Amino acid sequence: MKLLTPELLDAFFATLSQRWELRLPILLPDGTRIIGSLIDGRLALHGGAVSGKPTAAFFPQQSTLLSVTDGTVEETPSPPPLFIVGFTPSDLASLRFIDRFFADGWRDDLYFTLRENAAIAALSGYCGLGGALIPLAGGDCDLEFFWDRSSWLVIAYSETGKKLIEDLPDAARTEVVELLRQTTPSLPDENETVIRAASLLLRADRVPDSFWAEIGDRCIACTGCNLACPTCTCFGVQDWRSANKTERSRMWDSCQLDGFMREAGGHNPLGSEAERTRRRIHHKLAADPQKWGEISCFLCGRCDAVCPTGIGILAVAGEIVARFA
Amino acid sequence: MKRTLTVCPYCGVGCTFYLVSDGGRLVGVEPSTTSPVNRGGLCVKGWNAYAFVHHPDRLTTPLMRRDGVLQPASWNEALNLVVERLQAVQETHGKDAVMFASSAKATNEENFLLMKLARAVFGTNNIDHCARLCHSSTVTGLAETFGSGAMTNSISCFDQTDVILVIGSNTTEQHPLIGSRILNAVRNGTRLIVADNRRIRLARHAALHLRHKNGSDVALLNGMMHVIIAEGLADREFIANRTENYDALAGSVTDWTPERTAAATGLSADKIIAAARMYAGAGRAMIVYSMGITQHSHGVDNVRCIASLAMLTGNVGRLGTGVNPLRGQNNVQGGCDMGALPDLYSGYQKVSDPLMRDKFARAWGVSSLPSEPGLPLTRAMDTASEGRLHGMFIMGENPMLSDPDQGHVRKVLENLELLVVQDIFLTETAAVADIVLPAACFAEKEGTFTSTERRVQRLHKAVEPPGQARADWKIICDIAERAGYEGMRYSSPAEILDEAASLTPIYGGIIYKRLDAPGLQWPCPDQEHPGTPIMHLDRFSRGLGHFTPVSHRLPAELPDEQYPFVLTTGRTYFHWHTGSMTRRTHLLAREEPCSFIELHPDDAAMIGIRNRDMLLVSSRRGEIRTEARMTEMVIPGVLFMPFHFAEGAANALTNNVLDPESSIPEFKVCAVRLEKIP
Repeated sequence: MKLLTPELLDAFFATLSQRWELRLPILLPDGTRIIGSLIDGRLALHGGAVSGKPTAAFFPQQSTLLSVTDGTVEETPSPPPLFIVGFTPSDLASLRFIDRFFADGWRDDLYFTLRENAAIAALSGYCGLGGALIPLAGGDCDLEFFWDRSSWLVIAYSETGKKLIEDLPDAARTEVVELLRQTTPSLPDENETVIRAASLLLRADRVPDSFWAEIGDRCIACTGCNLACPTCTCFGVQDWRSANKTERSRMWDSCQLDGFMREAGGHNPLGSEAERTRRRIHHKLAADPQKWGEISCFLCGRCDAVCPTGIGILAVAGEIVARFA
Repeated sequence: MKRTLTVCPYCGVGCTFYLVSDGGRLVGVEPSTTSPVNRGGLCVKGWNAYAFVHHPDRLTTPLMRRDGVLQPASWNEALNLVVERLQAVQETHGKDAVMFASSAKATNEENFLLMKLARAVFGTNNIDHCARLCHSSTVTGLAETFGSGAMTNSISCFDQTDVILVIGSNTTEQHPLIGSRILNAVRNGTRLIVADNRRIRLARHAALHLRHKNGSDVALLNGMMHVIIAEGLADREFIANRTENYDALAGSVTDWTPERTAAATGLSADKIIAAARMYAGAGRAMIVYSMGITQHSHGVDNVRCIASLAMLTGNVGRLGTGVNPLRGQNNVQGGCDMGALPDLYSGYQKVSDPLMRDKFARAWGVSSLPSEPGLPLTRAMDTASEGRLHGMFIMGENPMLSDPDQGHVRKVLENLELLVVQDIFLTETAAVADIVLPAACFAEKEGTFTSTERRVQRLHKAVEPPGQARADWKIICDIAERAGYEGMRYSSPAEILDEAASLTPIYGGIIYKRLDAPGLQWPCPDQEHPGTPIMHLDRFSRGLGHFTPVSHRLPAELPDEQYPFVLTTGRTYFHWHTGSMTRRTHLLAREEPCSFIELHPDDAAMIGIRNRDMLLVSSRRGEIRTEARMTEMVIPGVLFMPFHFAEGAANALTNNVLDPESSIPEFKVCAVRLEKIP
């Protein structure tokens, strides 16, 4: 375990930037906190989960799949190696989930080209919102930065991670990490209790259609829940054609849109907001547990934060438990 | 990967987000989490606002019509020809033979410059923009009653009110981040009255849904005021201290008993009474309205009634109250504020006032400015067909699809001696132009937009314009220079806003260095002023609030045997106006790919139509083909159609009958007939 004091942060990242493209938690000019480049804002490691889909580094909102000019496919330049800091343990769970999804059956080259070229660092310790404790990640990443209220204790989980921090001094006091390593699995999480209870109720078919009609009435189809969710992976594909060029790209899609499932003949098996909202929640809490053996909501809270009408997954799960448990 | 803070280019709510770019290409958006307006959320159009910017259809070079075909030209050739031909038209037919159409999509700075170009360089007050089509009734009606034609309160007030009356606004679809606040308010106990005969989403959450007849708003509002006065629910103290002409209003609504109102509106008397009691009985009540109120041949009267209802109950000048016209376009408020209007300079200063003319003439270094108000956009087509208008310069508007009576518009535009269009795509209007100038879009330039709550916010340049496209403000400056005017040399939009602020009292303190997020709300008269979230606090802008009695007038064209249906037009959630941006955005175009018309299942059954059948819809102006969409959103006898689609264009049917005071067209009511296409 290595030690990184706050005053050495800038120098540490400056050194890394010589070999890596850095994406770090930053504070943008209006105070929005995201994972981005230091040219856009100042470093902001504290504050918990950043806004925006953290998995966007590998699955951006829009990306070019193919570009053909005068009948020749353009070569795609290799991306620079990325070093991304800012994943919470919940974000790492989401990443692990979509890694498996994008590798299952068919392998999504575009995703893995970016993913395998990146090193990932988690943030944990007392660096949550207002100094709240973020549980230890304990793996699923190359590095973990643990804030012990005075310095960052840095733990490597991969060979890449070890190399990245080999020049840092060893940490002298690591008891707090050891203590958390032992207690983290038993830390209670009310949100997890709620989401698991809602999942059971859904799988037991205890939630009536009338509930989904109520929730659907509050959906304005902004699609933000999907676009902010780190485990949502649906995308649409478009072709742009001009005189001598065709460009095929994909962009994040949303199951909250009517066109998502509409058949060419016009019929839509998910033709109402109620059905679409039901599907969104069902997918995460009922279908994914069957397919993958786990609920695919890792409680990051982003859909609840972006939803203008308060029907993010945690809010809906809470209503389900309150009314049908 | 770069993030650039900017303002959404779609509706007037004023949501801010970051454009995400990579290698000079936009790849997404991220909402601002600190914006007091959108608070971390966006609507579907906002989330997709990046997606049209690099579309291959973008205009990349000036075009000039040669041998009947638009062909690429250099900026030098195109700009010289614009000036030469505008001047030639004016030399032959007079200064007022040309008209400039400004744009509610363009920045404040660009609107200010185009009105300056029209007035100071080309000597005409013929400058207007699409506010004429949306809220000109508001500008006229609220200026008369309150002294200022803008939303009185702030968006945050929706969180702090007891009753919201939404009349003629499909808020969750057209101003989604305000609509969602209304939904949240209802969940927190606010009672909602929706007055709209379409069963819009908000109606599902309303304590009262009033499905009154199209065009009967004056009757409904007079009827509500009758009940309020008769039952002693009026705010006597507010009326006595803050208003004038109350007795005339009270006299005018005496006859509007619930029974008479019921007959005129098609509602039950009980509902009218319940609505009046709910609104007047609230400690704080807000009125929200939009095109359903303004786009009538009596649009100004509708607005007057709304102002009266609010004053009658003391619901102006306090938190959680007010008259809140929701402005449609991202910068339609700013377009009006900046004087892209035929009778007003920036800040609503009248061109007919010699002191104002003198002030602007001195600032602009010209000997005089024209004194007669110019042409409203909606009268331009008739004026041209009468042979009194021969050239048009249109920046960022598409009247071929957005204006009423398309057949007439097409004939006029095609017959102009000169049509110049400055836009980002080759719109239906640009396609018939003589000269087309390629412009930068919102993501490619600096400037400011003013939102519906009078909030001035900065947009920032994220990527370069395509090809040779240029920011509108630069093009306007180039034209002025070539026309021999030396007073339009600016190094940046900040300098243009400085000039506007120096001439515009309500913007007096609005300068770039004060416009870090979240911007400033006008009136902001000096650089120490913090801006004004709520207007008319202690006094109305005009002093006392003025009650104007209003008589009920029917729409100009009602159904008859030949044309038995009422057609009302509007927009869908997924498209913006004439679709030039949203129809080039994959997900939005997928949601609503084609023209359609909503009709009630009873009407469909009566004429043997099934869902998605193709229909021929005809009015006295024209006919179109469109797809039937059966829905109980509409009441029997009434059809709804969005105007986004060039194929199946709703405005081929609409009626260019105008409100006599505001010149707004009656988009909300015309008579049509339906036939199934075999």
